[in-house]
Amino acid sequence: MSASNATATSISHSERRTLQRFLGLYAFLALLILILGSTIYYKLQKDLMLQTKRLELEEYSKELIDGLKLLHIYFDRYRTYPRNPLYRSAIYDADSVRIFSTLDDPEGVQLDKVIYTTGRVIQYIHVLDSYYLGAKYVVVEIDDDRKWFVQTWKNILLYGGALLALFLTAGLVLVRLFLAPMRHAIRLLDRFIKDTTHELNTPVNAILTNIEMIDTEHLDEKTTKKIKRIEIGARTISNIYQDLTYLILHHKIASQNREVDMSHLVQERIDYFKILGESKKIEFETDIQPGVKLYIDEGKAARLVDNLLSNAIKYNRRGGEIFVRLRPGELLVQDTGIGMDQSAIKDVFKRYKRFDTSVGGFGIGLNIVAMIAKEYNLHIDIRSKKEKGSEVYVRW
Amino acid sequence: MVGSGRRSLVVGRWIRALTVGALLLGSAQLLADRGKNIYERNCVACHRKLPVALDKFFFNYLLKYSSERRVKEALQRFLKHPTKKKALASEELINQYGLMPKTELSDTELRRAIDTYWETYKVFGKIK
Ligand code: HEC
Repeated sequence: MSASNATATSISHSERRTLQRFLGLYAFLALLILILGSTIYYKLQKDLMLQTKRLELEEYSKELIDGLKLLHIYFDRYRTYPRNPLYRSAIYDADSVRIFSTLDDPEGVQLDKVIYTTGRVIQYIHVLDSYYLGAKYVVVEIDDDRKWFVQTWKNILLYGGALLALFLTAGLVLVRLFLAPMRHAIRLLDRFIKDTTHELNTPVNAILTNIEMIDTEHLDEKTTKKIKRIEIGARTISNIYQDLTYLILHHKIASQNREVDMSHLVQERIDYFKILGESKKIEFETDIQPGVKLYIDEGKAARLVDNLLSNAIKYNRRGGEIFVRLRPGELLVQDTGIGMDQSAIKDVFKRYKRFDTSVGGFGIGLNIVAMIAKEYNLHIDIRSKKEKGSEVYVRW
Repeated sequence: MVGSGRRSLVVGRWIRALTVGALLLGSAQLLADRGKNIYERNCVACHRKLPVALDKFFFNYLLKYSSERRVKEALQRFLKHPTKKKALASEELINQYGLMPKTELSDTELRRAIDTYWETYKVFGKIK
């Protein structure tokens, strides 16, 4: 699982996906209705055209049948088929065998129909009562000028297009209407976090600075322990505070990128988190190569490392281990925690996603990791086995 | 007159049979010729006495039955068992000359005669 494509899942992103899905379905249905309507319209236009042509063709067929009758009676003297430059015709016997034809293409005639167009010609079939010359079917054919066809298609495209545009506009309005409550809820949550964050800063700092000022040497062991617990709590809150600030402000503050000594930074952050790990009896093991550099904003690098470490603690078991290894181009944070499913891994970068709800947190940690990774083109690789633990690789 | 006609016919047939045998012509031609003989001898001979020509009868059948198959079937039906009901000829004609007598030909002979009848008057290939 890489973070480069598991982008920082923001609200607008999921919103856009919902929007796209809905619009897709909506457009599909609208199109279906339009196609149905167009088909009916097309058929009606075609029938209308054929009805008009039919009158003309019926006249022709009557004329032709009169000619056939004469030919039938005087066949011993005349054998010339009645022709007219206005139309072409053919006669077929009761077994559909062609007796005579002046048609362009006598093969494709459909004797079971009355009138139809092949696209090139319109053919009308008249069934005789008296089979002059043995002819049961008279076929009269004229050219199809395709004017109706062009006109019909023009109308379908014009009105169909207009209707589709109307449908889609209505769809967009509907989507906005449906999304309004969801947007509202998310905005509310964001604002709530923002407000809370503001109120957190001062008290947390006050606690942390004052704890540092306490001279523990003159205190008894019990009190020292208590103060340590207070410090752990304060640091946890501070960490959450940092994350939230990052989320709210990261796009407002320009990154101050420079060569950061990652070896130093990682060691410092581990020292900071050691105390948090102690509460769960978690041992840190490190293999940090000195002098590993990365061109990055120091604050963001700290957020990245902090979140990986804090997760490793959060999802670790009591008395577990955390192994941190730093090499040029690679940082590994490995825990002996609960691990997760393959399917869960792809979701971990989503905001407000906690893959174990029994553990506290807002589910923003890995979302921040993903955002930072994206900004600096870091590649994040998570390997996890359920009940065995996870390995998170950051490569650059 | 009739006797000499018949003799010349017999001689002609003998010669033709010989020729056919000698030249090994296809049997189809032979059958057609035989059909033509039966038709000429039987149908045409008797019909010469009638004022209505055979082709008029043919066109009546065409008018009513249309296709080759159906015309031939109808002819077969009529010629084997002529009835007033089945007849297409006008009533005056039948009253004057009587209903056509039931054919004496065998089924195969009749079929060949009808085939010839059809070939003689069919419109296929004749319309211009
Ligand atoms: C013995 C004389 C005789 C012979 C042989 C004869 N016909 Fe006729 N045929 C008649 C007469 C008489 C009629 C007119 C009365 C009638 O229509 O039944 C007639 C009528 C017909 C008709 C009209 C039938 C109708 O529907 O009215 C057809 C067709 C016909 N003949 C065909 C044939 C053919 C084909 C043959 C040879 C296989 C044949 N005839 C042999 C005497 C004959």
